[in-house]
Amino acid sequence: MISCREVTKSFEDLVAVDHVSFEVSSGICALLGPNGAGKSTLLKVLTGLLPPDSGEVRVAGLDVAKQSLQVRRIIGVVPEDLGLFDSLTVQEHLELTGPIYGLNATETRDRSDSLLRVLGLDDARDTFLDQCSHGMRKKTALAVALLHNPRVLFLDEPFEGIDPVASKTIQDLLKAVASRGIVVFLTSHILSIVDRLATEMMMIRDGRIVWSSATQTVSRPLEEIYFELVEAAPLEELAWLRSSPS
Amino acid sequence: MAAIIAILKALGRVVKRDLGTLRSIQFNNFFFFAMLLTYSSLASGRKPAGAAPFLVLLGFVLLFPLSSDPLSKIPAIRLVLWPLTRGQWWRLRLASLGLSPIFWITVLILVTTGSPAAAGMLVVVAMVMQSLLMLAGWLARRAPRWNPYRYVPQLPGALGGLVRNNVRQMLTLLDLYVAIMVTIAGSAYRWFSPHPEPRALPIMAFLIGLALSTHAQCLFGLDSASGLTRYRLLPVRGWQILLAKDIAFLGILLVLVLPLSPMAGLAFGLVVVAIGRYPSVVLRLPQKRWRFTSGDFRFGALQMVLGTALGFAVYDNGRWFFVAVVVVYLASLFGGGWLWERESRQSAL
Repeated sequence: MISCREVTKSFEDLVAVDHVSFEVSSGICALLGPNGAGKSTLLKVLTGLLPPDSGEVRVAGLDVAKQSLQVRRIIGVVPEDLGLFDSLTVQEHLELTGPIYGLNATETRDRSDSLLRVLGLDDARDTFLDQCSHGMRKKTALAVALLHNPRVLFLDEPFEGIDPVASKTIQDLLKAVASRGIVVFLTSHILSIVDRLATEMMMIRDGRIVWSSATQTVSRPLEEIYFELVEAAPLEELAWLRSSPS
Repeated sequence: MAAIIAILKALGRVVKRDLGTLRSIQFNNFFFFAMLLTYSSLASGRKPAGAAPFLVLLGFVLLFPLSSDPLSKIPAIRLVLWPLTRGQWWRLRLASLGLSPIFWITVLILVTTGSPAAAGMLVVVAMVMQSLLMLAGWLARRAPRWNPYRYVPQLPGALGGLVRNNVRQMLTLLDLYVAIMVTIAGSAYRWFSPHPEPRALPIMAFLIGLALSTHAQCLFGLDSASGLTRYRLLPVRGWQILLAKDIAFLGILLVLVLPLSPMAGLAFGLVVVAIGRYPSVVLRLPQKRWRFTSGDFRFGALQMVLGTALGFAVYDNGRWFFVAVVVVYLASLFGGGWLWERESRQSAL
């Protein structure tokens, strides 16, 4: 369903994504990596938000660079900045999205109602986005991404900065979505959640895929593998925290 | 005392930066027009009486952001958390009033005119404005059904939701309130003047268009990065995104020029949108809510000259000129749509 071949993306001297190749055909695939590793850049390339410098991305057989409009019709995306309008309410985002994806008013209303109920946004439907909490905004972005029943769902850090209840709601929804045949591709650095949720995992560092559960067996805890790939923070620089309280 | 001084210093910096954002007016077409009138009067040795109504109008609308309480710029939770005594809080409250631009203007009026009545009038007007704004904010928070944004309906069609978002964005621009006041003044002239001059009606329609025209140069100026990401993800063509912006702009303009000269006013609007297409899509001048829109002087001058010339051509010669204006507008729509798609592909988000 998602095919990424030799994709490279650079910003001036910085190679953010370096000859990345992988295939995802079903289930939930998680892309792990530290901040600045290239997760969000890769997700932007996969969704057509950024053009790759070289390589090819296909989603459901469609070339993301050349058939961008058709790809946008069949994917749902929760981008890094959520892609929401401050001047619209939660409900109005869904009212905006439905007709653009060809849904009629009844379909839009029915699907909106069920999504808002499942995501626990029923009471917040008339709240403007600039008055919503981060968790509510994230759930709204997820509802917008699912409204048109996409074939592939892309999520950038869906569990970042939200409370455990919202996180559990999103995890349950993603499991349900994947069980119905929608391919889910997400980025995260919350290892415990990814370990429980994902059917496939990849790790990216300095723009390169350095580990993948598709090619290597997971014989050790995920945390152990992860910390082998990420440098520990230089905590010794904070020695003053212990020695001289004012 | 050190705590109060530290807070006042920080507040002073915030007020200074906030006032800096009001400078956006210097690249606003309506202000530019008022300045041109002032200059032409002064250059010919006359008093700039012709420009006075426009400057008063701009000054009146500017009073809304100027009258805001400086202390409200400190987050309420921070004021509660700071370990200030009651006495310190009151000293801060009183001293912060000295940071209000209204206070400085009042002192200036007192010094230059020596008229306590004029100074008092300004304070009363500013207080009424501030009270209205606070009441509106309180109502919007406490009783969301009173939020005027809610009454902007979704238009039918695939782009209806986008149009609603764009109309709401325009409601947060001071330019619109200048345009509304010109509409009110023009309508009063038309209906209550014993012998209204017919040629004055398209001129007033052009003034309304002029008040809104800077926004036509930055139709994406109020979209956050998040909103722009959504535009890129939606399965619609570039021209459709621009059309949703244009429908909001031209729809509001049409409503405002309806009592005066709708065809000439709409022609003016189509021309300024077409000229503003390039800066809107490529230059992407960022804007702030509750400020005047700030555009590009070169495009502003073109909008004024060509908008007025073609507007008058439509008013004097009728439908064929209007058709020509529509053709130019459509060319800008599809050309701009192509540019939008190209820019979206190239921009690194």
